[in-house]
Amino acid sequence: MAGMKTATGDYIDSSWELRVFIGEEDPEAESLTLRVTGESHIGGVLLKIVEEIKRKQDWSDHAIWWEQKRQWLLQTHWTLDKYGILADARLFFGPQHRPVILRLPNRRALRLRASFSQPLFQAMVAICRLLSIRHPEELSLLRAPEKEKKKKKEKEPEEEVYDLTKVVLVGGVAPASFRGMPAHFSDSAQTEACYHMLSRPQPPPDPLLLQRLPRPSSLLDKTQLHSRWLDSSRCLMQQGVKAGDTLWLRFKYYSFFDLDPKTDPVRLTQLYEQARWDLLLEEIDCTEEEMMVFAALQYHINKLSQSGEVDEPAGTDSGLDDLDAALSNLEVKLEGSAPTDMLDSLTTIPELKDHLRIFRPRKLTLKGYRQHWVVFKETTLSYYKSQEEAPADPIQQLNLKGCEVVPDVNVSGQKFCIKLLVPSPEGMSEIYLRCQDEQQYARWMAGCRLASKGRTMADSSYSSEVQAILAFLSLQRTGGGGGGGSGNHPQGPDASAEGLNPYGLVAPRFQRKFKAKQLTPRILEAHQNVAQLSLSEAQLRFIQAWQSLPDFGISYVVVRFKGSRKDEILGIANNRLIRIDLSVGDVVKTWRFSNMRQWNVNWDIRQVAIEFDEHINVAFSCVSASCRIVHEYIGGYIFLSTRERARGEELDEDLFLQLTGGHEAF
Amino acid sequence: MILYLMNNLPCKNVSILNNFGAGALFSQSLGVDILPPPDPKPPRVEFNYSVGFKDLNESLNALEDQDLDALMADLVADISEAEQRTIQAQKETPQKQPHSASLCVPSFSGSTSLGYGTNVAATSQYDDDLPPPPADPVLDLPLPPPPPGPISQEEEEAQAKADKIKLALEKLKEAKVKKLVVKIHMNDNSSKSLMVDERQLLARDVLDNLFEKTHCDCNVDWCLYEIYPELQIERFFEDHENVVEILSDWTRDTENKLLFLEKKEKYAVFKNPQNFYLDNKGKKENKETNEKMNAKNKESLLEESFCGTSVIVPELEGALYLKEDGKKSWKRRYFLLRASGIYYVPKGKTKFENVNIYYGIQCKMKYKAPTDYCFVLKHPQIQKESQYIKYLCCDDARALSQWVTGIRIAKYGKTLYDNYQRATAKAGLASRWTNLGTVNAVPPAPPSTGVKTDPTQANGQLPQATQSMNTALGEDWRHPETTKDKKPGPSLGSHDPGAPREKKNQEM
Repeated sequence: MAGMKTATGDYIDSSWELRVFIGEEDPEAESLTLRVTGESHIGGVLLKIVEEIKRKQDWSDHAIWWEQKRQWLLQTHWTLDKYGILADARLFFGPQHRPVILRLPNRRALRLRASFSQPLFQAMVAICRLLSIRHPEELSLLRAPEKEKKKKKEKEPEEEVYDLTKVVLVGGVAPASFRGMPAHFSDSAQTEACYHMLSRPQPPPDPLLLQRLPRPSSLLDKTQLHSRWLDSSRCLMQQGVKAGDTLWLRFKYYSFFDLDPKTDPVRLTQLYEQARWDLLLEEIDCTEEEMMVFAALQYHINKLSQSGEVDEPAGTDSGLDDLDAALSNLEVKLEGSAPTDMLDSLTTIPELKDHLRIFRPRKLTLKGYRQHWVVFKETTLSYYKSQEEAPADPIQQLNLKGCEVVPDVNVSGQKFCIKLLVPSPEGMSEIYLRCQDEQQYARWMAGCRLASKGRTMADSSYSSEVQAILAFLSLQRTGGGGGGGSGNHPQGPDASAEGLNPYGLVAPRFQRKFKAKQLTPRILEAHQNVAQLSLSEAQLRFIQAWQSLPDFGISYVVVRFKGSRKDEILGIANNRLIRIDLSVGDVVKTWRFSNMRQWNVNWDIRQVAIEFDEHINVAFSCVSASCRIVHEYIGGYIFLSTRERARGEELDEDLFLQLTGGHEAF
Repeated sequence: MILYLMNNLPCKNVSILNNFGAGALFSQSLGVDILPPPDPKPPRVEFNYSVGFKDLNESLNALEDQDLDALMADLVADISEAEQRTIQAQKETPQKQPHSASLCVPSFSGSTSLGYGTNVAATSQYDDDLPPPPADPVLDLPLPPPPPGPISQEEEEAQAKADKIKLALEKLKEAKVKKLVVKIHMNDNSSKSLMVDERQLLARDVLDNLFEKTHCDCNVDWCLYEIYPELQIERFFEDHENVVEILSDWTRDTENKLLFLEKKEKYAVFKNPQNFYLDNKGKKENKETNEKMNAKNKESLLEESFCGTSVIVPELEGALYLKEDGKKSWKRRYFLLRASGIYYVPKGKTKFENVNIYYGIQCKMKYKAPTDYCFVLKHPQIQKESQYIKYLCCDDARALSQWVTGIRIAKYGKTLYDNYQRATAKAGLASRWTNLGTVNAVPPAPPSTGVKTDPTQANGQLPQATQSMNTALGEDWRHPETTKDKKPGPSLGSHDPGAPREKKNQEM
């Protein structure tokens, strides 16, 4: 035991005084002075500190941080000598897990306790386990961008910060599911709300806010984000993160393994949110038409999540459902529903018969719409001069199977037309049907849509299709009409509660290009194609459409190639490196990881050198981001590509750190 | 090819009768016989149907109550089994004098409006491998209206039967069986006829069937090839396409024909994906490396492009010539391929959902195209010259193959890769048979069983292929780990100022 002294009070062993501050890195923290020798073990020192503090508390999470060396003293069996600690060392005795605020992909803030002592990679594993996101290796943390000094004193609205700091996970086992969510979320209403925030898509952002948020105007701007990634092989403490700091949580590697809507509600939702913001903030380009599809999917997803039609995993509810089903079965049995009716409804195919105005565009004719007696049966449309002539041969008969159905509707103008492009051996026949009112339009339109897919009106989806069309029309009244007066100015989110505000769904460049009343019908039009999707299907579809964009998944960094005099952009994707001209944005050259033999990093001159097959050598120095980030991206993607074969949830952490770790690793 | 399809029947009753052909029991008693005309020009394509009216009474008698009952029982019992028996019956009665029979049930003419395009279909039987019997001149005449005489005599009976027929019809509807006989031209000017059944006959099944019949090498390049002589366009069927559906779009007097031949283009993308995915606008250095790409890299490139959450469509853009809206001129436009469609400037867009892609043949002659590397986007139902057909023209053959393949990938997605894997499995199996020398000993199984066993064959073959690939890659990935011990670890580089470079061996 260190600190033997004589009667006079002189120390007779080689002990010396070690000062330890209690708490987090705070120069005014209370301190303790211990008597130690170089042979004292860290564990012994820890024990002494706790004894000295004389406070009853769970100290298990506490450890010593050595400020000068920026290092945790986690090896309790090591001696002070082994660590090289002398009396001048500034040591802090503080918790290893500290609260941070995470800005999630859905832009919500969440406070939780993250490990400040483990490498970030391990800390991420723990965070993702808490948030129940599988495959934590795909995510990482970014430093929050430095806040621009506000010119005007704008009042930032008070933001709700979800709190998960009190949630403790039992180590080892996978979180069990309880009431349709991981058990650790179901403890209180607060955490439950947090889970809903995580697993359900957020409503569309305020268009005004969307316009104010910074958007990249060039490739150069897109490189900014990637300079802020934290290092996976070092702990947060080493990277200067302090308790209470805000960090961004994002999917870093665009290689999403085994995306499963059933087991991954949080992962799917957050991925959807990241994709959505990517598109809304113009981080990735898409065509006008693609934007409409994205907007339609967002609208649909929002509608489903608002109405609570979340496809919850079958929990306790399934029992109720079974009971309901059994009851209704019983009901049917007791009433003895007539089997003849059943047969009738099965065999008779409903048909539509009505007076409609028909227009057939032909060359050199000025004829307009003419009233006809139209019969729509199965998938065939026949029209006659009048109802009386119906039994005779029709003027024309069209089989709508495989045809194109285009609505031509103006609700305020009371115009309800259906344009049909019916294929025939000779070409397409164009025909317009004009309906009198919404009801009639909805019935005929639904019939045409089904017929074009080769289904008849006996199909079970017919009535829901009719309802969807009616809803579409009523939305046009509320949504599109409302924006008309205010012209090009986006409406607030509360402009129409039920209706849709198209400006929250499209990137600002489309806001400038189109008026709301132009956008609404186009979005609703695109919506018709996705209206049948469930929430998770729609999210998955959104993610897939995002993934099929040509520029998907490329992280940009400014670099300077060896032998070149100007800066260029290096794009890093999951399978290749792309050399891009900085000013024009053209792809100069692509190298694939599959042809890569090795890569080396010269940390002193910040240069990455890569050797590809056939003795192709590439070297560049990193300008916008540190070469660690580039190195980690490359190694990370290579690590991710090994997963396919590993199969399973087990993470080969060593391999990851070996591939991505720099000179500080090990 | 000759397609015997009861198409646009003047007498709807006939079509009803012909439905019974699907039932096994009727194959003999009814023997609706369809006799092809002697082909003056072999490639001539005909839609033909013919129903004899010689002994109407006889055929009416043939349709006794018990026959109807049997038919019903048959339909209800097991449609697919019935199917098999039909095929069997067909084989057992190869050379019999063809019966010609027909029946008209008057009570039907008003109540049913079954026509072409719903689910009515025709069956015909004759031995596949025999040359078509000489045509009976009577049969080629247009159908006379059904003679009303004999029917009115048996009106009551007919009425009773009608109810049964009605029921049978509904059963048939449920089964939605559509059958036809397809004539497929071989590259040696011979032809084979196949019975095609809508429910199972994808192009893949037809190919498998033809493999059995022809004893060819079964390689993946074999395809069904559709030719439109009138439009001068042609294309191969994708393996997952429904042959019956495609053929139903042909008109009755069409000259279109169906070929069985090898086309390298069909799966070129899977054999040399680098030509489609890594082509850097024809840069020299790339071409050199591309040709040398090894199998392992190809595999990983394919896996990357086709096995992710969404299929990656090759990046393609460039100037093409376009002829559209029925105009005669070709305009040079800048085109861009995306998963959502093909875009061109000045503005235009075509989606692929409703169009098929064809090769244009000799467009330079026919349409004064700038080059002969043309492809055509056309709705499958359009059979004649139309303003709705889009013609596009590339500068060279390489561009043509890239565009056509790119569009196919955008249109069909992962299905294409699945097709390829099935085709490789099939080809692999076939070559194994050949190696064992049993190819001749393998009895030509009935087509339906061939189809049934196919999935298991695929299962037997596929894992092997993927496994070998996996191990090859796995070894490579483990390479850095194993070398770790011998080499200084990555960390050493920093500690040793003399060796600042950190080496990592990533041989791939």
